[in-house]
Amino acid sequence: MYVNISDLCFDYPGTKQKTVADFFLHMQEGEVISILGESGSGKSTILRLIAGLEQPCKGTIKVGEKVFCGAGGAFLPVEKRGLGMVFQDYALFPHMTVEANITFGLKRWKRSERKARLEEMLGLISMEEYKRRYPYELSGGQQQRIALARALAPKPSLLLLDEPFSNLDAHLQQRIRDELRETIKKTGTTTIFVTHDQEDARVLADRIVMVKGGTIQQVGKACEVLKETVTKQRVPVEA
Amino acid sequence: MKWRHVFPKTTGWGTVSVFLVTLLILPTIFLMVRVFQPASENWKHIREFMLKDYMVDTLTIAFWTGVFSVAVGTTLAWLVSAYQFPFRKTLKWALLMPLAIPPYIGAYTYHGMLSYTGVIQRTLRDTFQLDLHQKYFDIMHIPGAVFIFTIFLYPYVYAITRAFFASQATSLIENARILGSGSLRTFFKVVLPVSRAAIVAGVSLVVLEVLNDYGVVSYFGIQTFSTAIFQTWFSFGDLDAAIKLAGILMGIVILVLIIEKWLRGRRKFSYSTTKVKPLKPTELYGWKKAVAVGYAGIIFILGFLLPVIQLSYWAVLTFDQIFTKAFVSYIWNSTFTAGVSAVMVVVVAILVANYTRMARGIVPAVTARLTVLGYSIPGAVVAVGVIGFFIFLDEQIKKILAAAGASPALMLSTSIFMLLFAYVIRFMAIGYNSIESGFEKVGMKFTEASRTLGMSWTETFFRVDLKMIRPAIFSGFILVFVDILKELPLTLILRPFNFETLSTMAYRYANDEMIQESALASIFIVMVSGIAMYIFHILIEKEPN
Repeated sequence: MYVNISDLCFDYPGTKQKTVADFFLHMQEGEVISILGESGSGKSTILRLIAGLEQPCKGTIKVGEKVFCGAGGAFLPVEKRGLGMVFQDYALFPHMTVEANITFGLKRWKRSERKARLEEMLGLISMEEYKRRYPYELSGGQQQRIALARALAPKPSLLLLDEPFSNLDAHLQQRIRDELRETIKKTGTTTIFVTHDQEDARVLADRIVMVKGGTIQQVGKACEVLKETVTKQRVPVEA
Repeated sequence: MKWRHVFPKTTGWGTVSVFLVTLLILPTIFLMVRVFQPASENWKHIREFMLKDYMVDTLTIAFWTGVFSVAVGTTLAWLVSAYQFPFRKTLKWALLMPLAIPPYIGAYTYHGMLSYTGVIQRTLRDTFQLDLHQKYFDIMHIPGAVFIFTIFLYPYVYAITRAFFASQATSLIENARILGSGSLRTFFKVVLPVSRAAIVAGVSLVVLEVLNDYGVVSYFGIQTFSTAIFQTWFSFGDLDAAIKLAGILMGIVILVLIIEKWLRGRRKFSYSTTKVKPLKPTELYGWKKAVAVGYAGIIFILGFLLPVIQLSYWAVLTFDQIFTKAFVSYIWNSTFTAGVSAVMVVVVAILVANYTRMARGIVPAVTARLTVLGYSIPGAVVAVGVIGFFIFLDEQIKKILAAAGASPALMLSTSIFMLLFAYVIRFMAIGYNSIESGFEKVGMKFTEASRTLGMSWTETFFRVDLKMIRPAIFSGFILVFVDILKELPLTLILRPFNFETLSTMAYRYANDEMIQESALASIFIVMVSGIAMYIFHILIEKEPN
């Protein structure tokens, strides 16, 4: 397996209940997984634990040959994990142009390689003519594409997306969702994305992990997990 | 309790921050330890004959200033928030301007204006042929000090309460109006109770400023803790007795902070709605309009216009005599000490604020609390703590050098460094609050985005965070700079021999009954403060809610 997460636990200081408890996940390279759950279910915390933005109290995370965290308190800092992450509100650096944003993570690349990668990324999202613009000069959908290009530019071993469509208007969501799926598949990047929207999960994910109260409720293909959920939800209504 | 919850890993940021904050609280710890040492003869004398007077005078001034500041500050805030009347827009910011005049400068100016040869008595004599008894013009007593403090410090209550009205109280006030409540009833039954937390926050700042003051009470000859600490140190050279007095004053400050917390209670009044709409002011007509303009106008005239006109007049009169090479050196000393200290404050504040936001845990939380402690400690107390600490350091250095067979070339306790260090302790909270709120506005998302793109904490700080909090750094620097420019008690106690600043010079001239000669330095301080305050008003008004 390419991604191995097992026995992952996390709690915030001063709280007795664990925000994430005994979470496990195994992924193949190139697979797209959706972590689906309601707000407060701990799904974003799981993403932050994988990213290294929070430190787990227990458990192991391994991606490829790299151990992110594991036995004996081993913890690889976020900047050394080689991940890409798209934030809920994109977090594009407002004082940098599109070009500077996309090349931000390429600091150790050669100048010529950096330039080529920038053009490649702009081509991938069809925004070649926008590189001199600032984030505030772009629409929500354009900002989202730049955030994706920035995350993909350093060729991350794993791409993490935190509610990537929540800031978009409803009519834009479907189009951007299709674009995103196409881009991810084109680059073959292993991806985990967090959402509360079943439709997002259905369209984008190869498999869905349903979480509640920080623990896994169900794992499976979209057609299995979502069908069962719909059936379960219907029971009390029909009764 | 897990170790990562106590002292989370943050590369070097945590170590540096904890070291700096420890350094800043060492004088306070030193003071607390020395408070309980055996009493000297001077202390026995003070305790027996004078302590009661210090206590009564200090508390009387603080209490009445608090009461009057609440009365003036809240009524003015309500007036400009809820009603439309001529000059309202101008008065809205003009009523903040008295804060630009340090109370000690206000005290000299009023005393000068009210003296036998001052403008008021002269006008009464020459124009109206009225020669009244001198007792009617004497303000050098406790009620006079309360007037001076109220008229120059009420803007703390005004500013915080007005901001609260603008951001939180609108829907409640509108509901009260819809339910048929008249102006007075709305003010007393709704506005005052819901604004309690804001009013208490404002008035506690006023009381802390009063406890910090040395200039007004010493000029008026009133015995308070500040003047007592000065006398004990300068006249008797008795550091232990000064430390004991400082300890009691610190006790009063802690009591004020406890009362503040108790009065605020759980009433933080944060509402579930984040929708903020400004209160629509009601148009005033007839005599009500005249009363509104008259009341707000008189406070502005007394608190700013009149003293500034008088100071400007005196400054022009004495300009040729005062504006010498020496005066330029005072300007340099003031701007140099204020500039260097403000830079130090901002640098330490950035380091600590970045650490406390990057790490959750007991140590970062305690570090943040300790960083802002200094502002509630009166200048005289900080000064005594710093002197004691530096003398102790000098003794240690002497011992080490003597053991090595050398003699010390520099004594820390007589150097400018001691003054700069004390400024940093006293004004750290202002710089820290500004930078912390800058970080809060930006949030963590950009930092986290940068880190997922391979940048370390430090690289992220220089490439992303620092650029995004530039306005907060600028605000913090200016606020600290202006406060140090106005500062008096610390500067008087801790300055090196023959080192004069604009504030010490204004104080010295005024104390020598050369009030007109003190005006040029005073007006310089007032102008710089006024410009800075006006810029802030513009910046805050421009900011979206």
